[in-house]
Amino acid sequence: MPPKGKAAAKPKETSASASKPSSAPTPPSTISERTQQRIEATNPPITLSSGLSSLSPTEKTLWINSRFARSPTLRAKLGTKAQRDLWRHVNEASLPIRSLAPPSKPITATTTIWGTDKSGRDVGTYTPTQFSERTSKRARLTSLAAASDAFADLRRRAQLRIPDPLTGEDPVLLEADVEAERARRKEMAALRGELYGERTGTYASDPEWDDVTPVALEEPEGALAAIAYPDDYAEAIGYLRAVMLRKEYSPRCLRLTEHVIGLNPAHYTVWLYRASILFALGVDVPEEMRWLNGVALANLKNYQIWHHRHLLVEQYWPVIEGDEGKREEFARGETEFITRMLEEDTKNYHVWSYRSFLVRKLGLWKSAGERERRLVEEMVKEDVRNNSAWSHRFFVVFSDPEQSTEGVGATEFDPKVPGEIVDREVGYALEKIGWAPQNQSPWNYLRGALVKGGRKLGSVKGEVEGYVRDIGGEGEDVRSTHALDLLADIYAEEGDREKADLCLRRLAEKWDPIRAGYWGWRRKMLEADKRD
Amino acid sequence: MPHPEDGAPSPPLDRARHLKYWSRCLRSLLPHHYTSSDSNRIALSYFILSAIDLLLPDSSTTPLSPSPSPLPALLTPSDRLHFRHWILSCQHTGGGFCGSPTMTLPPHSYSGWDFSSRAPEMGNPGHANIAATAFALILLALLASSPEEAASAFLDVDRTATLSWLRRLQRPDGSFGEVLARVEGQEGLVVGGGRDMRYCYFAAVVRWMLRGDEDEEKDIDVDGLVEYIAKSRTYDGGIAESSMHEPHSGYAYCALGALAMLDRRAGGERGFDALGRAFPDVQGLVRWLVSRQFVYVDREEEDDDDGDNFTFSEQQAEEDPCVAFNGRCNKVADTCYCWWVSGALALLPSVDQSEDGSNVDLLIPRTAARRFLMEKTQHMIGGFAKHPGGPPDLYHSYLGLAALATMGEPGLKEFDAALAVSKETAAKIEAARNGLAGVAKSNRTDEGGQLGPALLDLGVEIRGQRPPWLPVGAVG
Repeated sequence: MPPKGKAAAKPKETSASASKPSSAPTPPSTISERTQQRIEATNPPITLSSGLSSLSPTEKTLWINSRFARSPTLRAKLGTKAQRDLWRHVNEASLPIRSLAPPSKPITATTTIWGTDKSGRDVGTYTPTQFSERTSKRARLTSLAAASDAFADLRRRAQLRIPDPLTGEDPVLLEADVEAERARRKEMAALRGELYGERTGTYASDPEWDDVTPVALEEPEGALAAIAYPDDYAEAIGYLRAVMLRKEYSPRCLRLTEHVIGLNPAHYTVWLYRASILFALGVDVPEEMRWLNGVALANLKNYQIWHHRHLLVEQYWPVIEGDEGKREEFARGETEFITRMLEEDTKNYHVWSYRSFLVRKLGLWKSAGERERRLVEEMVKEDVRNNSAWSHRFFVVFSDPEQSTEGVGATEFDPKVPGEIVDREVGYALEKIGWAPQNQSPWNYLRGALVKGGRKLGSVKGEVEGYVRDIGGEGEDVRSTHALDLLADIYAEEGDREKADLCLRRLAEKWDPIRAGYWGWRRKMLEADKRD
Repeated sequence: MPHPEDGAPSPPLDRARHLKYWSRCLRSLLPHHYTSSDSNRIALSYFILSAIDLLLPDSSTTPLSPSPSPLPALLTPSDRLHFRHWILSCQHTGGGFCGSPTMTLPPHSYSGWDFSSRAPEMGNPGHANIAATAFALILLALLASSPEEAASAFLDVDRTATLSWLRRLQRPDGSFGEVLARVEGQEGLVVGGGRDMRYCYFAAVVRWMLRGDEDEEKDIDVDGLVEYIAKSRTYDGGIAESSMHEPHSGYAYCALGALAMLDRRAGGERGFDALGRAFPDVQGLVRWLVSRQFVYVDREEEDDDDGDNFTFSEQQAEEDPCVAFNGRCNKVADTCYCWWVSGALALLPSVDQSEDGSNVDLLIPRTAARRFLMEKTQHMIGGFAKHPGGPPDLYHSYLGLAALATMGEPGLKEFDAALAVSKETAAKIEAARNGLAGVAKSNRTDEGGQLGPALLDLGVEIRGQRPPWLPVGAVG
């Protein structure tokens, strides 16, 4: 029962002074502040911090009256007179009859009754203007989502040919609808990102990919070597797994493989999947080759690209095999591409390997006026130390089926190699040694050519001796350690072990001390040969 | 083995710094530029765990204390278990291991897999990879805390399926591919990956680990593999993918490593049968390998990546030379070739029978070669870079350690050059191999093992005909 009588009149003064600030509230600067003001405005100016018993009798009356004023259930228990009394007191004390429930905890800087935004900021700290902007964005997102649902519904009805119930017409999904939906998704993705920090991937927001559920990556605890992937990679991989699983071979999947390859060209199955799509769709091989050229130029060190290229050539082979014109055109295109690649990286292993594959596949040994050998000769002229070019020349000359025996090892004598070819190659190597005597490439080539031709090493003794002077004597001079090395072998071949040993000793002592252990071993081998 | 006259090399390897680098790689996400290695995460894991193994003291001398270790690099029992589960989660239903979870699928996606044709009913993007399979097996053994525990390390591996998958990866010319896949419009299964000596090496490693010494088990074409490797010899004595390509020290190591695994006997002992067949004369190869060393000279401006980092006169001038290695003639210095070349030399039979020293001791100037790694490519934060002055990466950091270990670095565990892990881990791998072989043998001799085919025959009899999808001898 509320206390009756005059006692209630008194609190008027206290409440008047307490309610004074709320009568002219300063405009709130944040949402939380506005909430606080509203709570204050709708609750009696009494703080019930340490229980009802701590209140003064007038405060107690005020508090109880405010409770009764707000609760019809409580009021129903009062008699008519008591109710009248109650309303009179309420009126006099101008007590609020509606209430905004105060928060269970006092509003502080860390309370987030409004939630947090994407960056973890309390929305309560927004200014009212910022808050209303946020609210309208949310409303916009909701309306877009509704429109998007309508699109999905229309598409479904169009697919199932469910006629419009009012007009009875079959719904038609226009390309313009899809375009509009694409734009809508884009806006929704932007809004979701802005409001909630949600990242909507490129594929998730593309209506074309709605029918694909990405196969997400699940890793058990204790994953090793986890990588901080870019978000778009993780998403693209999820879609790739899904379409590979259902063996979809379509243009959109071709684009997806291109995307994944761009992010991770070393993905070892995406290439095979791409090949499957190409072959299933019957995509023109030269067109794919042109695309691949760009990828190869951007990823000089990648392995998979080259295997893909091999597969394409094998696929294309039946088309060009019987047509010399087409073969020549293809060879010219590939040679151009190889040249372009080698401009970027003159010693790229994959390119040179592919080049030798092409020579064998297309039989380019002597075609087009020995173009292959001449091109490589140009490269050696540019950089006489380009060992890749030297190796390729050896292959082009000494593996040519016309003038070599199949199956003879690279380090074995091949009687089928014509003598004039051996002469030419030995001369070529000797000439290039003259350009840079310490360059090992032509020295290796020289040895290789002599062995192929079944020549004695001593057949070039005169030329080689030109690079050294007075070994072991006062005026000793060496212009090439490789010459000294070869001379050691030449003298050993002649049976002059002492001279051979001297060369090796001088290499170890003076001219090539970092390989002293190796030269020492060679000297021991000389000894061993003598004993045999 | 360190030369007694050298004493301890100085400055010593800062193991703590390297361990810090590797712990970071182990315990936190790798930066995004490793995305292009996403398909080979098992390989990255191998670099990380094997490097930590090399750097930590021998586990037999330091018993694992029950108190939590201050070193984040030390693996707890729960780490070992979780890592093991993660690796096993990459195992492919059809044999072998996939390179990363990206390449595996949820288990239900494998339903409809036909094990005889190895073709899935539906498209199957989960593909086992030969490198991943070798590294996964190594890691399973490495993660065992002791050789006793290692005896069961391979028991969760589908031995039969993996060996049969391995056989199908071999091409008629004896070489191996990395992946087996169906490609639209192509007959049969495509053996993916180019002609690449690395796959030959991994094949020999996987075969050795899983097959045991059993002769009755179907084998790969060993003679074909040896012949393929023999043909990879080039005119200058080196080894390439084939004799028609340029020789390369990485491929040289892989070729010799494959032969070493074919020749491997119990207890890390080896013969030289396969090696002798492939390369009857190694003199040219030794010349080619030692020629990969050169005196490294810093350049003010490296205008050309492939510039010839050597000249004759400079070789003479240097007081305390740094000796670096290249992969091919006239190419630049690179940390990993210190390993490929020293590892390859270590795999050859001792060239000088009269001396005790190994090939590495005899043929590599260790002090100068070490100086290149320690002063030029070692990085402040630990790890090694590819080229002097570059940032460290997992691959070069591990191979830098491997090179030092091969040259007998005192702070590192002894190294097994053929398996490219510490000798301690190699012993665990062997224990795992023997454990698996033992189980496989008992399964074969077990009477219950005969029940499967018998039941199958009974089923066929009842049905009255052999269904086309059931291959002959599918069970057993």
